Amino acid sequence: MRNRKTDARKAYLWSSPSLLLIGLMVVFPIVYTAYISLTNMNVYHWFDFTIVGLDNYIRALFVFDSGFLSALLATVLWTVVNMALQLVIAFTLVSLLNVPKLRLRRLYKTLLMFPWAMPGYVSILLWKTGMFNTQFGLLNQWLTKLGLETVRWLSSSVSAFLCCTVVNLWLALPFMIMIMDGAMQSIDRSYFESAILDGASWLERTRYITIPAISPIIAPAVIITVFTTFKQFDVVYLLTQQAGAKTGSGFHTILTYAYENAFITNNYGYSSAISIIIFLLLLVFSARYQMREENR
Amino acid sequence: MKRLVSVLLMIGLLMGLTACGVSQKETANQLTIWHDKEDAVIAALEQALKQAVPELEIVFEKKTSLTDSLKLVGNDPSAAPDLFIFAHDKIGVFAEMGILAPIQPFLEDGALDQFLPMTIQAASYKGTLYQLPLYFETLLFMYNRRYMTEADVPETTEALLAYMEENTGRGRYGFVEQHSTAYYSAAWIHGFGGSIIDENGTPFPDEQAVMDALNYHARFVALMPGETEYSTVNTLFLEGKADSTIGGPWMVPSARAANIDLGIAPMPTIEATGKALAPFSGVQGIHVLKFAAEKKADAVKKLLSALTAPEIGIDLALASGCAPANEECYTDERVAGDELVQAMRTTAQIAVPMPNIPEMDVMWTVVSNLLTNVNLSHKDVAESFVAAKVQAEQLIGAMK
Amino acid sequence: MTKKRLLEKMELTALNLFFTLLCFVTLIPILYALSVSLNGQNSLLSSSFSFFPSSFTLENYKQVLFGENILTWFQNTVLLAAVTVFLSLLFAVPAAYCFSRRRFTGRKFILKCLVLLNSFPAILSMFAIYRLLRPFGLVNNRFGLILVYTGTMAVFSLWNTKGYFDTIPTEIEEAARMDGASDIQVVWRIVLPLAKPSIITTALQVLIYVWNEYIYATTFLTGEGKYTLAAGLNSLQATEMTGSWPVFAAASITVSLPVLVIFFLCQKYMTSGLTAGGVKG
Repeated sequence: MRNRKTDARKAYLWSSPSLLLIGLMVVFPIVYTAYISLTNMNVYHWFDFTIVGLDNYIRALFVFDSGFLSALLATVLWTVVNMALQLVIAFTLVSLLNVPKLRLRRLYKTLLMFPWAMPGYVSILLWKTGMFNTQFGLLNQWLTKLGLETVRWLSSSVSAFLCCTVVNLWLALPFMIMIMDGAMQSIDRSYFESAILDGASWLERTRYITIPAISPIIAPAVIITVFTTFKQFDVVYLLTQQAGAKTGSGFHTILTYAYENAFITNNYGYSSAISIIIFLLLLVFSARYQMREENR
Repeated sequence: MKRLVSVLLMIGLLMGLTACGVSQKETANQLTIWHDKEDAVIAALEQALKQAVPELEIVFEKKTSLTDSLKLVGNDPSAAPDLFIFAHDKIGVFAEMGILAPIQPFLEDGALDQFLPMTIQAASYKGTLYQLPLYFETLLFMYNRRYMTEADVPETTEALLAYMEENTGRGRYGFVEQHSTAYYSAAWIHGFGGSIIDENGTPFPDEQAVMDALNYHARFVALMPGETEYSTVNTLFLEGKADSTIGGPWMVPSARAANIDLGIAPMPTIEATGKALAPFSGVQGIHVLKFAAEKKADAVKKLLSALTAPEIGIDLALASGCAPANEECYTDERVAGDELVQAMRTTAQIAVPMPNIPEMDVMWTVVSNLLTNVNLSHKDVAESFVAAKVQAEQLIGAMK
Repeated sequence: MTKKRLLEKMELTALNLFFTLLCFVTLIPILYALSVSLNGQNSLLSSSFSFFPSSFTLENYKQVLFGENILTWFQNTVLLAAVTVFLSLLFAVPAAYCFSRRRFTGRKFILKCLVLLNSFPAILSMFAIYRLLRPFGLVNNRFGLILVYTGTMAVFSLWNTKGYFDTIPTEIEEAARMDGASDIQVVWRIVLPLAKPSIITTALQVLIYVWNEYIYATTFLTGEGKYTLAAGLNSLQATEMTGSWPVFAAASITVSLPVLVIFFLCQKYMTSGLTAGGVKG
């Protein structure tokens, strides 16, 4: 008979290194940021800051103006579009890759991983200058060759949103493909065999076997990707909002908006307050989502 | 069990191995200098210093994201350097953070007399000198002699506009520049007598001047490509698709490598105001961190004295085409013959050093937004300006 | 040939064609970088771009491989990556097993918290981590960086491994326990082999993270002898003022290749052990 208490103790013992590291490297920064948000740490009080209470939060509320609201909506739309596309495209590609008898599958998979292997900022730079550049980018060069007019890809908000989505998908799909592939591999073939014997079509097999089987496995990766997409800064910033290389697009996610309106002031107390508020916002969102899941 | 033990042993071994990376730098004659400059410049400095102060052991360390690291470790002697070489525009921020030591106490009287006044102005914040200037950069008007003859070189901006109108079209441009980047457009704003921020931290002190500059500049932007970034402008000029441009000295080697017959001319003047386009300049120099000033005062003093000598400036100019801060260097015949260096010295007389106050940090984004709105999104100048001023005041207020 | 086999052949050909096209399209930016890297001219853009550069040269690759200290960078990165992957797995597997198999108080709560931790925008955590490393003297120290990396990836490692463990039926383990196997033996001999795909996935993700991570590496490690591949690459980045685009492009490609090779080699381990009939009968 297992003793529940020794069970719990053993569990904590074995998990302790992992939990300890998480506590240090992930939880502590949050706590520290919360602490700084209560101080006046800024350029004028960089090393000698003192606690000032909720001043920064009061001031931060002014950042959440109409601009922030539209950035928030844009970010939600951005996350939904990206996640939907990622899941659908990854699933389709993985299903196709797993067709038996596709002999070059290892080669295809490796080549499709390239975007993931290259450092992100390099890729984004290549996209911005090599592909989307109005004068010399490949896309416009091809359009000219076809006799069409050049397009200013990044200079309007809608167009920039689409281009950022393309780049984000390019960067993120390899990971999703890898996770889904691993998940697909774990499904017991015998389920499919008996389903085929019963005469199920591909669609039915997918709906009733594949998707329920892989959902628990890909769930963690999907959740992490949702948060990562929501917090996405690099893609939007480097493509369209880098000071000195702005493209005229008004598309902001909440992090680029926060960056431009708060983080560049070097007022860490203030920026920390904003980070905490964004964190709480996301917590509320995910808590509500989790509650809906549990009530199903 | 045995496996567990061997695993733990391996971890311990690894820890031991990897932990042996901590260096001990304790000698009073050893100075560590951080920088992010190219090898040629640093090599020249190292050479010159080896001869001038052989008793000091000077270690140059290249550090990317130098400012971010300094913000972290600025007051931590075990992780921070003793000095660092960087542009002057951050001394306000670092001085307020309290990590910089004033330079004046280390220099003899009159050591800086021969330095270009613009560089001393750049290196001072709130009346204290925090940087020893070494060399500076500013923008120059460059043209491709194959397309723009000496006679064509515009002396006024009106002439430039006329030239652009005649020579732009079918994939070619009379003149290109990074029109919506704050650093470059400042030249136009200064030409109208305006400025981005004054010493007290007031953004756009002369509002009308800035709006006039924007309106005027927009006529030129209409004849330039929509992209404002470096790659586009650079490629257009280097491929011979643009006849002239405003760029920094860093463009010269690549222009020569691309076989462009390069000409350098003084900045055109704006007829309406009588002022020439006055670009920003960046002064590169060496700064001292507070604790180094206290603990290694002797060594720092020797180093800084050695760096005020004109020979250092001459070496830099010869090695890498830098424009030295010390005026004496320009009389050296080898330097006198360098067209580029002399052109920069001439421009130094009208150039405006980048403001080094902390408030300037946020102005880059504000001006960038303003320019993008006016030039790329074609919004109304007055409206965009009002929005920019509001944003600037908000951000500056948020800094405290 | 029967009609069915003809149809199959056509489907396969269509599929192969599709994937070839897809790979090509996906790789266009990479091919662009490749072309820039093989180009003699120092420019990222050109008006007459072609995938076969006009002035072909291998000079840039020579400079990357022999001119810069790429061997030092490589050694540093391999060291950091290997130890980080090892530690990540070492910590995550036992923890994942416990969270998957045992029921104990606080289990659900901790799992929920782990997910929610991901919603924190970590832009300002540099300071916190610095404050953490300083008292232990781990600032300019490789092991400090390893701890930071392991910690940053710890949530993902734990979650991913646990998720996969959840799908492995417990019957085999119970059988083994009845034969007297200890916990460690069960994990080592039974669960891990079956969880290979997820272990490899986790390891690869951690590897890529460390391989390409340059922000912490450049801030916390000083000295050119300590540069990692990512830090070295970053220092080569051609800015407006200096640097050579072709060399940077060549370096980017060179840095990405080892990871791809590792991925290619790992592929055969990523098929599951379950299909080998471990559970049936």
